[in-house]
Amino acid sequence: MTVARAAHRATVEPAAAPIEIDVADVSIVFDSSKGQVVAADRVSFQILRGEFVCLLGPSGCGKSTVLNTIAGFETPYAGTVRVAGKPVTGPGPDRGMVFQQPHLFPWKSVRSNISHGPRALGKPAKEARAIADDLIAMIGLSRFADAYPHTLSGGMQQRVAIARALANRPGVLLMDEPFGALDAQTRIVMQESLLGLWAKVGTTIVFVTHDIDEAIFLADRVLLMSAGPGRILRDLRIDLPRPRGSEIVLDPAYVALKKECLDLIRAESRQAFEQQAVR
Amino acid sequence: MTREQLQRLNTAISILSIPMFFLVWELVSRSHVVNIILFPPPSVVAVAMLEWVKSGQFAIDLTVSVTRVVIGFALGAIAGVLFGVLTGQFQLVSSLLSPIFHILRPIPPIAFVPIVILWFGLSETGKIFLVFWGVFFTVWLTTHIGVQKIDPGLIRAARMLGTPRRQMLTEIVLFGALPYIVVGLRTAVSISFYTLVAAELAGTFAGIVYRIEIAQQNLQTGQVMGGLVALGAVSFLADRGFAAVTQRLVWWR
Repeated sequence: MTVARAAHRATVEPAAAPIEIDVADVSIVFDSSKGQVVAADRVSFQILRGEFVCLLGPSGCGKSTVLNTIAGFETPYAGTVRVAGKPVTGPGPDRGMVFQQPHLFPWKSVRSNISHGPRALGKPAKEARAIADDLIAMIGLSRFADAYPHTLSGGMQQRVAIARALANRPGVLLMDEPFGALDAQTRIVMQESLLGLWAKVGTTIVFVTHDIDEAIFLADRVLLMSAGPGRILRDLRIDLPRPRGSEIVLDPAYVALKKECLDLIRAESRQAFEQQAVR
Repeated sequence: MTREQLQRLNTAISILSIPMFFLVWELVSRSHVVNIILFPPPSVVAVAMLEWVKSGQFAIDLTVSVTRVVIGFALGAIAGVLFGVLTGQFQLVSSLLSPIFHILRPIPPIAFVPIVILWFGLSETGKIFLVFWGVFFTVWLTTHIGVQKIDPGLIRAARMLGTPRRQMLTEIVLFGALPYIVVGLRTAVSISFYTLVAAELAGTFAGIVYRIEIAQQNLQTGQVMGGLVALGAVSFLADRGFAAVTQRLVWWR
């Protein structure tokens, strides 16, 4: 195991990989009926090219907001977000995104959904189709290339959504609780196949979740966030060997990491609970 | 009675419903309770319709009326969808045009007949304009609402993929609004027929409603009712045909 871990570390050597995502002192403020709400408070982190990072935190901690800011759907109140050195000014094809719901275009077949991105960028129809067919094979849905989304199961739809997000060959893949709406069995299969896909395409992935097991299973690093206002509580390195299988939950290193996360979350929730009691 | 028997009884009754209606009508007309000249029985109506068809006049009347509806409907639908997408998608266009459309929309299209006669005389343009007017606002409004009700997640997904503006309108917005648009179009089909009635009553030289009016002036009540039957049948077929097209248009439902 030590050997495997060493080998893995060598592939993502912090000094060697350039910084892909740079979130610097980002604060995000929303106007609500009760006045202004601070969704994120001076959040800073850097993600290296090719890294798989999970943003882990309770619902309402602003982790999705941070992800949307990287995507360019939200504008920060203060601070800057840079992707591949360029400041983010809006959504763009260099950052693919998978949402909690698949949001597939219901009037397009699986193939047309996936080839939409390349075609939007002006690729010839034939080339766009070839890109789509490659990805369809990769997600194992070749039999369903001409099917419409409503005929597919939730897990299949989300696989198509991942393929669609990858079709423009983005440097960054942003995933907003993509498996949150799936049942437990499907979710495990999806996690494993996502890791398989990532091993092939090698994009940088930022994955938002509130599920501790999911975060540790998938990530190179887990950024633990706290609620009200959203802050980065801890930056945890997940030094578990890859490829990872479901038996990893028995690994003492895994158990130790999970305990660390749980302890931090417990301390944080207690504090939040007491603060609410005082108010 | 079992559930199956009950169902069979209902089917039988529904099959008998229309023949029974004609039978009662025939009996009432011939019973001398009502004036047979003003209230002709279906047998007389059928004879009148047969003569109408045989004379060749029916084909002309049908063609003229259907042409007015088709052209007026097509123009109104195209304009309605176009403006609906524009006002639904671009706030600035909506701020400019929606208030105007909203004050014009509640005026019944039929009320425009007198002014349309002054503008276009008894020409075809006037008839088509009235149908267009009736269709346009319904289609515009449903398209506008349809565009605004598109799942924002789809728009986000399209933006994330780098969809250029024109492609956003033609491939995402238009299709996203299509379920609403087809409902508007189907409503507009029946609207176009009742605007046709007003248009033809206002004065013309051929058409199904024109034939009804002429027959009324000659006290040919059989022909009047025959005209109503024909109008009902055409309108029914148009609605059913459109429903079938609609199902194909929104194939992903």
